[in-house]
Amino acid sequence: MTDCPDGAVRDLLPELVNDRLAPDVRRRVDAHVRDCADCQQEVELLRALRASLRRVSVMDVGTIVSAIPAYRAPRRSWGGWRAAAAIMLLAVGGTSVAVLQRENTAARDGGVSAVAPSGRGTSPIAQPSRAPTLPAIQHPAPELALGNPAIDELNDRELATLLAELETLEAFPSPDEDRSADLVVPSPAGTD
Amino acid sequence: MTDVADRADSRADQGTDDELIRRWKSGEQRAATLLVGRHADSVARFVTSLGVRDDVEDVVQDTFVRAFASIDGFRGESRLRTWLFTIARRLVLDARRSERWRGEQVEVQDGDARTDFDPLDAMVADEAERRMHGAVARLTPTQRQVFGLRVGEGMSYREIADAVGTTEGAARVHYHNAMRAIKELLDD
Ligand SMILES: [Zn+2]
Repeated sequence: MTDCPDGAVRDLLPELVNDRLAPDVRRRVDAHVRDCADCQQEVELLRALRASLRRVSVMDVGTIVSAIPAYRAPRRSWGGWRAAAAIMLLAVGGTSVAVLQRENTAARDGGVSAVAPSGRGTSPIAQPSRAPTLPAIQHPAPELALGNPAIDELNDRELATLLAELETLEAFPSPDEDRSADLVVPSPAGTD
Repeated sequence: MTDVADRADSRADQGTDDELIRRWKSGEQRAATLLVGRHADSVARFVTSLGVRDDVEDVVQDTFVRAFASIDGFRGESRLRTWLFTIARRLVLDARRSERWRGEQVEVQDGDARTDFDPLDAMVADEAERRMHGAVARLTPTQRQVFGLRVGEGMSYREIADAVGTTEGAARVHYHNAMRAIKELLDD
């Protein structure tokens, strides 16, 4: 079997047999292949190889899907908790420590324990352990935040900026840091 | 899954990958089923081309769990399938590093290691097909990965480079070397 001297066309034959060429390119390649015995042979071989390569395995879709956790929007659940807490820090400013102390006392006295936000996932990947380091802060946060109209009106972007600024102060621990490092998968476009 | 099913599934009937992702994020679990059904076999073939034999299903499942858990990290700059391949590849490499999948370390490096016998050979009855399978099995691991993505999936060199962690130019060279080797083996 000899190789077609038109290297550019030959290079496109795998995409031709996989039906992945743009219509105009496809017309051009088809026209060439019609008159080229070398390419016809290669297309035939590629079709056979493709069938051979694709013979492997049939996956059980149901099993895979059952392991996939439900979607959790980044800001609604975990991020939302941090946003609320961040707002509280801004809203009450210097009094936050007092609030925190009072809440801790209340929790101790009333036997109320703060509940950590929990992942809904079923897999170990989606359900990492993440105990917030400031559990008492999340309970009073919503009321305080709602009580401040100026902060109520912040949109998501402004909240994100606010959070970013707070992060730089290191006044707020980031219990999910480990997890984010674990979960971030780089976009292929960012490689090379 | 056959080609026809592959194509019938995609775009026209059920929506694009991006649409299905949006639907899944808004709570439609069936969208995940469609996405997994659309890509699972391709991911399985890719994982197999990485030299994984016994734990293909586990790797494929982990790939989807990981992908869906970090779906907001998928920015749509590449095809979803390419992104899934990059996740699968990373899982396999990580697993090899931690030796969770034992006995697969042989093919981590693309040195002189070649597979002289592929267990799938024995399952392939047809003589012509058996020869083709044998020819592919004799490629170097990287050649086999690139060749599988190019011929089996029809991916562009850019997509292949992203999936296997190489450059576009290197992917092209690997493909043509693989094709030449296969022709020589089949002409013998
Ligand atoms: Zn030609």
